[in-house]
Amino acid sequence: MSESQIIAENKAKKESLPVTGMTCAACANSVETILKNTGGVINVNVNFANSMALVEYDESTNAEKLQKALQAVGYDLILNTENASQIQEDMQQQHYQDIKQRTIWSAILTLPVFILGMFFMDWIPGRWISMVLSIPILFWLGQSFFINAWKQAKHGKANMDTLVALSTGIAFLFSVFNTFFPDFWHARGIHPHVYYEAATVIITFITLGKLLEERAKSNTSSAIKKLMGLQPKTLKVILNGEEIEMPINQVEVGHTIVVRPGEKIPVDGKVISGNSYVDESMITGEPIPVQKSKGAEVFAGTVNQKGSFRFVAEKVGGETLLSQIIEMVQEAQGSKAPVQKLVDKIAGIFVPIVIIISIITFATWMFLGGEDAFTHALLTSVAVLVIACPCALGLATPTAIMVGIGKGAENNILIKDAESLELGHRVNAIVLDKTGTITEGKPLITNVHWINENESNHLSSILLAMETQSEHPLGEAVTNHLKSEGVKLSPIEKFDSITGQGVTAFDEKGEQYFIGNERLIVKNKISISEKAKNLLSQWQSEAKTVILFANSREVVAVLAIADKIKATSKSAIQTLQQQNIEVYMLTGDNKQTAAEVAKQVNLQHFQAEVMPSDKANFIKKLQQQGKIVAMVGDGINDSHALAQADVSIAMGKGSDIAMDVAKMTLITSDLQAIPKALNLSKKTVIGIRQNLFWAFIYNIIGIPIAAGLLYPINGFLLDPMIAGAAMALSSVSVVSNSLRLKRAKI
Amino acid sequence: MKEFKFKSNINCTGCLSKVTPVLDSEEKIEAWDVDLQSVDRVLTVKTEELSAEEVKKAIATVGFSAEELTA
Repeated sequence: MSESQIIAENKAKKESLPVTGMTCAACANSVETILKNTGGVINVNVNFANSMALVEYDESTNAEKLQKALQAVGYDLILNTENASQIQEDMQQQHYQDIKQRTIWSAILTLPVFILGMFFMDWIPGRWISMVLSIPILFWLGQSFFINAWKQAKHGKANMDTLVALSTGIAFLFSVFNTFFPDFWHARGIHPHVYYEAATVIITFITLGKLLEERAKSNTSSAIKKLMGLQPKTLKVILNGEEIEMPINQVEVGHTIVVRPGEKIPVDGKVISGNSYVDESMITGEPIPVQKSKGAEVFAGTVNQKGSFRFVAEKVGGETLLSQIIEMVQEAQGSKAPVQKLVDKIAGIFVPIVIIISIITFATWMFLGGEDAFTHALLTSVAVLVIACPCALGLATPTAIMVGIGKGAENNILIKDAESLELGHRVNAIVLDKTGTITEGKPLITNVHWINENESNHLSSILLAMETQSEHPLGEAVTNHLKSEGVKLSPIEKFDSITGQGVTAFDEKGEQYFIGNERLIVKNKISISEKAKNLLSQWQSEAKTVILFANSREVVAVLAIADKIKATSKSAIQTLQQQNIEVYMLTGDNKQTAAEVAKQVNLQHFQAEVMPSDKANFIKKLQQQGKIVAMVGDGINDSHALAQADVSIAMGKGSDIAMDVAKMTLITSDLQAIPKALNLSKKTVIGIRQNLFWAFIYNIIGIPIAAGLLYPINGFLLDPMIAGAAMALSSVSVVSNSLRLKRAKI
Repeated sequence: MKEFKFKSNINCTGCLSKVTPVLDSEEKIEAWDVDLQSVDRVLTVKTEELSAEEVKKAIATVGFSAEELTA
């Protein structure tokens, strides 16, 4: 009971217990309500994100009682364990092992049934053996099909499960009848057949398909857990003039909080003293840390750089911007309607048609069947239902998707979810994040101009020395650039930084140098040459940050820094536009930079200065116009939008959280993989359709034969030969068609 | 026969599986359905005898909530 905490006075117990079986935020509500209504529970708080329930209860109840209350509804509590999260993971692993076991059992039991049915069909004891082996396959391994089919039927709907249950169920019952009472048919001059192998092979193949699908999927996402990890667990608060450390959940609005270099900011608030740069990339997506001094707002989860400061807490707990992002991501993930699978759509139409054909068959035979009308009517109408379900039905989608996912991996596209493969080809609008997606995501030196080239060697080592000491986030771009050129440090002294303007220092000879913006140069009455002025305004108009380097008399160098556009971004965007996909860019950056980037990659639609929730709303608006929207992003600030989009794509070099939320990840972060991914989706979906065609076609051909269409001509009715042929042909066609996809070019 | 429509928080198939036993076992409910595709997750209940309040109470036993939608 390491996580429990016993409060001595009133004997109430407060415990944090992991809950299993919650699949969405509403489930968490449900668990909370159930626990609240259980006698003896004083207080309860259920968190869906980390699957934990914080329960406070008195001595009239215990954890086992709570567990029973939840079990009655279909959830469960994990009790008395040190490593609860491990157990949860084990349970997920167990789920996969479970399916694997079912598949193996199914195959082991089906094999003899198949051999008996195919090669010893007239050996009477074989029928009894087959029947005994079929029972566990259908009603133990295949019970979910019958349960689901029943659920669907109650709602007046049909899907793949309905078709499977209908066809295998009828085949089984028919076969059992024929096994027990073959004389019923013999007396009427008909030789009865059994179809145990048809029923069992269908179940085995579909179970195998589910296994393939499960294996192709990677683990469930833990994005929310990672988002919550961004907030520190404890923080330092000034109380009565003393600095004390307290847990995050005890902080209140109005507390003064101390933030040291490198620490994460625990809650939202306003700076009251101190000075620093804060990395806010998780909220804004912008890589350059932002300066914070008195009056500036700071947000939970952002990372303080080299300075330290104090701020007053204004929003704590669930109110912080970070908590709101977490909530929005959860909501967007939980509110998405599931995409109906193609196979279910087809089955939904196919099932009623098959039933109608079966009824028509029965009626026709009753009217035109002559003396044996009823016998033939029964035989043929049942046979129609038996032949209706294609064996390869369960393999059609999983095999295509498995090949598709493998093909994606070869092309550096990680696909987590089959759904995105099925949706990708319908995408007609793409929203791109700017920083880190279209651009490299980190500031780099783009231009350097020395006024007097001869002095550049000596001066650049002073520049390097000064920038090395600078705390300004852009300083790193300069030092990286100079170091890569092999510049050595030169000794400097009296280094000083002037907030909001730049830095200054003296070299060994006592010459003073300045690095900074135009304001610093003007204020110190340093002259700027015509050439330098032109460069300054030219580069600024290209939305670059321009730095001036000067001695006490004149500017000696002009440098420009910008977030470079990836080399392939422009051509990738062009490819998408040529495929008639609308491409949008959304960025938290300023309008000027956004416009410049949009111009360079030839984008007409863009929006600047958008907040994380605006990105998601923008996507929602496009979706309301009936568009299928793909979102491509790399940051935590994109996670809400990624969760909202129909198809979500993250950058491999981006944040873990974006990769967790997104259903696809481009490992190379190269935008040219996007058209490839969409093309792959198209190929996969075509593959699925072809597979479904091949799966169904042989059985569809079998239906008229089963209905007895050939009977008047040559006395031919359905027998296991035809069912077996349809089974073999459809399976071979489906598997070989899926393998063909492997060689397709994307 | 009365037909009630509720805006519910039955968000996903997981939730549905929790509600199903309760609604299925209530004999006074003739038919029911949750549209998971709709924004409001509309729960439709056809019943002769139950009132909207009683339906709400039934699903509250498994911790879900619903609000009657007035046409």
